[in-house]
Amino acid sequence: MFGSPTLRQLAPLLALVLGALALQQLLPQYFLYVGNLLMMYVILVIGLDLLIGWSGQFAFAHIAFFGIGIYATTILGTRYDLPFLIAMPVAAMLAGAVGFLIAFPATRLRAVYLALATFAFAECAQWVARTWDSVTKGADGLQIPPTSILGYAVGNDQHAFPVVAIILALVLAATLYLQRSRFARSMSAIRESEHVASASGIDVKRVKILSFTLSAIYAGVAGGVYTLFNSFVNPDILGVAQLVLVLTMLVVGGSGSIAGCVLGAVLIGILPEVLRAAPRSMLVWQEFFYGLILVLAIMFMPRGFFGAWQAWRDRARHAADKRDAQASQDTRLRAKASTEASS
Amino acid sequence: MSTIIVQAVVSGIVTGCIYALVALSLVIIFKTTDVVNFGGGEFVMVGSFLALFALVYLGVGYALALLLAAVAMFALGVTFDAVTMNRIGGRLYTRQTELVPTIVATIGLSYLLKGIVRVVPYTEEPRRIPPLFNAPPIFVGDVVIQAQDVVIVVATTLIMIGLWAFFRFTMAGRALRAISQNARAACLSGMPVRTLRMVVWGLSAGIAAVAGVLFAPKLLITPDSGTLVMFAFAAAIVGGFTSLPGCVVGGIVLGVTQNLVGVLIAPQAISVTPFFIIMVVLLLRPQGLFGDAIALKKV
Amino acid sequence: MSALLSIDGITVRFGGLVAVDNFSMDVEEGRIHALIGPNGAGKSTVFNCISRFTTPAAGDVRFAGESLLADPQYAIAKRGVARTFQNIELLQRLTVLENVLVGMSSRVPGYFPLLPGARRRRIEREAVDAADEVLALTGLTGYRDTLAGDLDFGHQKLLDVARALSAKPRLLLLDEPAAGLRNREIAQVDKLLGELTARGMTIVLVEHVMQLVMSVAQKITVLSFGRKIAEGAPAEVRANPEVIEAYLGKRAHA
Ligand SMILES: Nc1ncnc2c1ncn2[C@@H]1O[C@H](COP(=O)(O)OP(=O)(O)OP(=O)(O)O)[C@@H](O)[C@H]1O
Ligand SMILES: [Mg+2]
Repeated sequence: MFGSPTLRQLAPLLALVLGALALQQLLPQYFLYVGNLLMMYVILVIGLDLLIGWSGQFAFAHIAFFGIGIYATTILGTRYDLPFLIAMPVAAMLAGAVGFLIAFPATRLRAVYLALATFAFAECAQWVARTWDSVTKGADGLQIPPTSILGYAVGNDQHAFPVVAIILALVLAATLYLQRSRFARSMSAIRESEHVASASGIDVKRVKILSFTLSAIYAGVAGGVYTLFNSFVNPDILGVAQLVLVLTMLVVGGSGSIAGCVLGAVLIGILPEVLRAAPRSMLVWQEFFYGLILVLAIMFMPRGFFGAWQAWRDRARHAADKRDAQASQDTRLRAKASTEASS
Repeated sequence: MSTIIVQAVVSGIVTGCIYALVALSLVIIFKTTDVVNFGGGEFVMVGSFLALFALVYLGVGYALALLLAAVAMFALGVTFDAVTMNRIGGRLYTRQTELVPTIVATIGLSYLLKGIVRVVPYTEEPRRIPPLFNAPPIFVGDVVIQAQDVVIVVATTLIMIGLWAFFRFTMAGRALRAISQNARAACLSGMPVRTLRMVVWGLSAGIAAVAGVLFAPKLLITPDSGTLVMFAFAAAIVGGFTSLPGCVVGGIVLGVTQNLVGVLIAPQAISVTPFFIIMVVLLLRPQGLFGDAIALKKV
Repeated sequence: MSALLSIDGITVRFGGLVAVDNFSMDVEEGRIHALIGPNGAGKSTVFNCISRFTTPAAGDVRFAGESLLADPQYAIAKRGVARTFQNIELLQRLTVLENVLVGMSSRVPGYFPLLPGARRRRIEREAVDAADEVLALTGLTGYRDTLAGDLDFGHQKLLDVARALSAKPRLLLLDEPAAGLRNREIAQVDKLLGELTARGMTIVLVEHVMQLVMSVAQKITVLSFGRKIAEGAPAEVRANPEVIEAYLGKRAHA
């Protein structure tokens, strides 16, 4: 239950990396692009889940940190010539630092007020990206030049694919460790009841601030990953649409579990690509479909696909237990009857 | 210069009335059901398109178009509550509302409405509702006041008075006030809470539609017009998010601030104004100017 | 001798309402001290002052000689004071075991996943063992892996107590642990309280179930409209006419 993740949990991560190396040669560029995109979304969604699903803090600023990650990685790489391996962690730390700073006022707010304040923060961040011409080139956006990692040139989706897979594997491993820490338990405690947490000796404010920071770092890493397989960024990436997309992933997959996040990111992330493949007119329906999916998901699977599957499994197990109990009772009764009969 | 500022303030008050109406439509839902309706802006947008369709395709008069739009939106609000909110917040009044599902559902509503309107062919281009009156503008010194603006202010005032009377004098209104004060007790005392909640959603959507019709002649309507809801959110928050008069004051504060920011600071800063105000107010005075203190649940 | 907990003239106001009015009370170590009074008398508010959920406008709360009022809320557990909640507060979507583990937060060292695995596993194993002990004591062993939200009312009440106990507090504040319980369950609480005092724990018990109060308390303080109206041994308090009028009398007429 605690301690380190088991080998059984880490093995899929290894498989992910090895699989990526193998598939890199086999898949066409477009599939590799979609693969990169989905892996990036997984990181982004898990980061959001740390706040919403684990600590129960309904904060909307996630996309702002993602944007900080993208812009900072790009700018550090182009203006200051920092290699990706330094630029990305620095950018993630920067996102984390901003997350840390907004956490202080944010911990004073609760529920819808927190949601609205953080949403407003994200909108302000987008506005800054649009207005701060000297750094972000405003609405025109920034070119992201190809980068290289320890001499390995990352110039297209094919090159980026294994790198993104490795980063994702590291992030997932870190999350598995985190999930087993006592800190994760404190996070769920404040989600369930701040009163109980506090009376039990948990410094609620500290846990919240750390959650905000961690979540922002995840978003920053996802932003760094974005720069590996995209050649351009503009302030649209910080918009409400992105936020709703990530939120949809979380809700549809199932918050509170890593598997749910992965599932949601893949299912929803692939949707625009499917719509793109359909006749042109379908793309207009995208908003409608997101809306419909959100409403239906929250109505019929409030804990997402993963939660629904868990509930189904538990019920099946429960039914099986009952059947077993019934069967053994029958046997006992029959045995009793036969002993009585023979005596 | 000073004329520009006075003009900015005057037209800010007019815009502020619209924000106040939309804020009202958000607050009456929040007050009685603890739900923040992120689809409120789309209620406004759909309402103004419906009125436009009625004007253009049915060729009805202005008053009838307004009425049709409001009634249709009332029905939409009722339906959404009956179908969706009732399911996910069915036990709303017997326990603390679960926040995430309600927010997600209303965001879904917002996308759903936007998505539907976007696939309607007529909405591809920005549209404008013709002004209500072609009466000449009124001049007060150098300040211009459009006839339309007068209508907006008068309509807002009437709706405010109507709502006030509704909450004060009707059975349903009084029951709703009881619910917002003590939901659990209201539920236990056998009030038809479910029906009342549908009425509130209907009212909210109806008010939003009226706001949409009043506002539409002043600007182009597109499927994305719903973003104006952020100004309404800011107005509601300035007013405390639970107070009806607070909405009006907040709306006017927002409308005037927005215009002054445009004149005195920079036009590009207008779009960020509501967000900035939301952040600042929530950080400095979370209960707004008129709201009840926000307390953690009593132990 | 000086008391373990000493409440000294505290006053709490909510707007115009004086919920607790210049109230003082000393709790001796190793005792069960009951705090009773009619609904709305201010009992829970007194608890909230001790556990820092409320700050009194005047007066002081001292525990083992030191004032608690300068501490933040979460530091109270570390000092050795644990509490339960009148309206069951549980970590609904966590298991019974996890609830109890959370209760230990004040005494199990925190760690980030970076600690060496062996050390982390040892800390966690000790914590789980201690939690199992508490579950055994409260009779919840059979529900170890049930979600707290799925327990029935009586077991939820017990789990609240178990969570508080797991902090190994010197002082335990119980807010109506027997409210709404059936007689058999009340007997169970009675027995549990006996065992806890046998282990030297000090308990302040807020309770409306008189049969439990009279059976376990060594001393009773009576609160009415925020003021102390009586204090003493159970027999004395029961005979006090003012108490009968303010509290028991009301019951008798009801
Ligand atoms: N957070 C609060 N805000 C306003 N009033 C409060 C608050 N907490 C308690 N009160 C009021 O203070 C008074 C004392 O309440 P308290 O909960 O301490 O009573 P109690 O003795 O625990 O009663 P009960 O036996 O019903 O639990 C009551 O009138 C209550 O309404
Ligand atoms: Mg009480």
